[in-house]
Amino acid sequence: MDERLERYAELAVRVGANVQPGQEVFLFPAVEHHELARALARQAYRAGAAYVHVLYNDGHTRRAMIELGPDEALTYSPEWLKTFVTSITGNALLATTGDPEPELLADLDGERVGRAVPQELVQIRIQQMTENTVNWCGVGAPSEGWAQQIFGEPDVERLWELVAFCMRLDEPDPPAAWRAHVASLVERAESLNELQADALRYRGPGTDLTVGLLPNVQWVSGASDTASGIHYVANMPTEEIFTSPDARRTEGTIRSSLPLPLAGQMVRGLELTFEGGRAVLVEAESGADLVRSHFATIENADRLGEVALVTKESRVGQTGTVFYDPLFDENATCHIAYGAGFPFLADGDPEGVNGANMHVDFMVGGPELEVDAVLADGTEVPLIRHEEWQLA
Amino acid sequence: MSVNGEERLERYAELAVRVGANVQPGQEVFVHGLVEHAGLVRALTRQSYRAGASYVHVMYSDQHIRRAMIELGPDEALTYTPAWLKSTAETTEGNAQLGTTGNPEPELLADLDGERVGRAIPHESVEIYRELHRKSSINWSAVGAVTEGWARQVLGEPDVEQLWEKIAFCMRLDEPDRVAAWREHLDRLDARAAALMGLRPDAIRYRGPGTDLTVGLLPTARWGSARFRTASGIEYVANMPTEEIFTTPDPTRAEGTIRASMPLSLGGQLIRGLEFAFEDGRIVHVDAETGADVVRGHQANIENADRLGELALVTKESRVGQTGTLFYNTLFDENATCHIAYGFGVPNAFEGEPDERMNASRIHVDFMVGGPELEVDAILADGTEVPLIREEAWQLDS
Repeated sequence: MDERLERYAELAVRVGANVQPGQEVFLFPAVEHHELARALARQAYRAGAAYVHVLYNDGHTRRAMIELGPDEALTYSPEWLKTFVTSITGNALLATTGDPEPELLADLDGERVGRAVPQELVQIRIQQMTENTVNWCGVGAPSEGWAQQIFGEPDVERLWELVAFCMRLDEPDPPAAWRAHVASLVERAESLNELQADALRYRGPGTDLTVGLLPNVQWVSGASDTASGIHYVANMPTEEIFTSPDARRTEGTIRSSLPLPLAGQMVRGLELTFEGGRAVLVEAESGADLVRSHFATIENADRLGEVALVTKESRVGQTGTVFYDPLFDENATCHIAYGAGFPFLADGDPEGVNGANMHVDFMVGGPELEVDAVLADGTEVPLIRHEEWQLA
Repeated sequence: MSVNGEERLERYAELAVRVGANVQPGQEVFVHGLVEHAGLVRALTRQSYRAGASYVHVMYSDQHIRRAMIELGPDEALTYTPAWLKSTAETTEGNAQLGTTGNPEPELLADLDGERVGRAIPHESVEIYRELHRKSSINWSAVGAVTEGWARQVLGEPDVEQLWEKIAFCMRLDEPDRVAAWREHLDRLDARAAALMGLRPDAIRYRGPGTDLTVGLLPTARWGSARFRTASGIEYVANMPTEEIFTTPDPTRAEGTIRASMPLSLGGQLIRGLEFAFEDGRIVHVDAETGADVVRGHQANIENADRLGELALVTKESRVGQTGTLFYNTLFDENATCHIAYGFGVPNAFEGEPDERMNASRIHVDFMVGGPELEVDAILADGTEVPLIREEAWQLDS
């Protein structure tokens, strides 16, 4: 048995989702992730899981649906799948990322690819996030295809080494290292909360964007507690502090700094222009139709749901690697998401938090990006310069 | 042979979809396969959409996850049926189903407690599928999926191409008109079944090395091929390949002993040298060189697993038999030679509602009994014995 794989899975189960004895555990791996899925199942049972549900997904059968299936299939949420997703409430969830073929759908009609979202299922998951009823974690699953995408060759071992570094598996006591790391992120979030900023301003090449913030919505780290008090780390790795902005107040233009694999297509050079909180213009070198299709077919997908700040201490950033995977790339650098926000951050009043049935992160950070907090009196306080954190 | 691997895979999947399950435009299709079968599962999905499926539900399973459950999970997990799995089974009603077989690691569970392996069955969903089969409300088919692991088991080396060639032969992919070839083949099997029914046999008697077994028949149960019709009239071929004619016997009448002639891959273990002794229809003794505990686990824990559910006759014209290959896979091996199943009967053997005496167990396990030395006779009501099979050749006129 691969010991590194088991230790990795154990960290995801015990520190990430923090599976409790007697909980059921739900896994959503890609078929190509079966080695990790099996290790996660073993570790979940070792942690006392009552049952481990595994639902494999497959980019190729999804491709067949979009390419060959009828229109109605695109948005269909089968009854059994609704039951599956609903059953996650009160239980634990482990998701795997690292698309083995991130451009599998590149030649398909972007409008159709963008429309292919089982919205009822997404709605159930968002409800669970809103009520914070699921302790969950997303982790990367190295595969030949993913390594090929990153390095131009299927060097899985090299990818494993990077992933292990990002996951702090090199530390003598990884769970303790994770506790210390999360504590430092919490501290950073609290220093920003103390500023009581009214807005964030991003400036950089192709970027000048102001995003309004909500007075009752906190900045937090990627670690949180379920409504029933289970402490979990939703993303591993995580290097961000984030919040949900006021979805009604976004003005200006922002340019993405990394390619974004999205629903089987690669979005390159994404630029969004906002007026009155809405994206009114979408430009991209590739994949623009897919993003436009999201904005056209999913209510409020054209408004923001998340702003997240990452600096150069990030272990993911330190690898100097573009992972072509949101979980890793969004923890290398600052990012923003269009679509759903996080109502559970809103202290009971989610007014202004985006309730879309979709959430798509894209990366905006880099050495030239300047991020400021704009206070109520108009004062601008530098938060990030040259990828360094500026607050005390 | 100019057909490349990709094209062969699509043709194979097309045959399973169009002739096997016979997917109808507007039907939903459930494709069940192991993660190692992804290549075939994807082709079946494509061909189902091409045949007009309104949606294809892809249900991958993973033996290693199952192993983790049996090895590390609590007792309750073994027989648990999640609500979504029940819902999956219920949604299959009126729709089409495709399953893939061909175990890449048939002995994956060999070191686990056989009793626990035998107990690990999600009874509630099995029950739903059983009812759907009883009502003939699914058009379905099972086909083999080539993997390196399966090739290693069959050939002693991971020669996927050689296994593909055998399977393509069994599936008649070499015929110029594959659909017509399948129709003729099934017509031949149905004619053979009709000739046997013309005898109005009361029982079947098996004789051979280690075997002398008499099994009573039900007067209303028919003999037939695996070409079935759903209650709504969709014709389908439940197994591809298929070379058998079969019936469901009287579960209260089996006397004597029978010895399996091939190893049987069951629940992640390989059962070798299986022998049963029957009294009054019940299995009273189980022996095997390996894996006896899995079978005993079934007999001890599952009602009526100790009675028979199927008798099937296969002769040497079988394309599977002609390959001379032991496939370590029930779908193939049961079509190489005569076989018998313990457990659940075959509702398709009846026109309309099954006879209430049919075995209503929750499990159905086929094991192979045929071979050159096996003699099979029909016993008529007056006691006359009519030879059906000698030296693997069919003895009746049709």
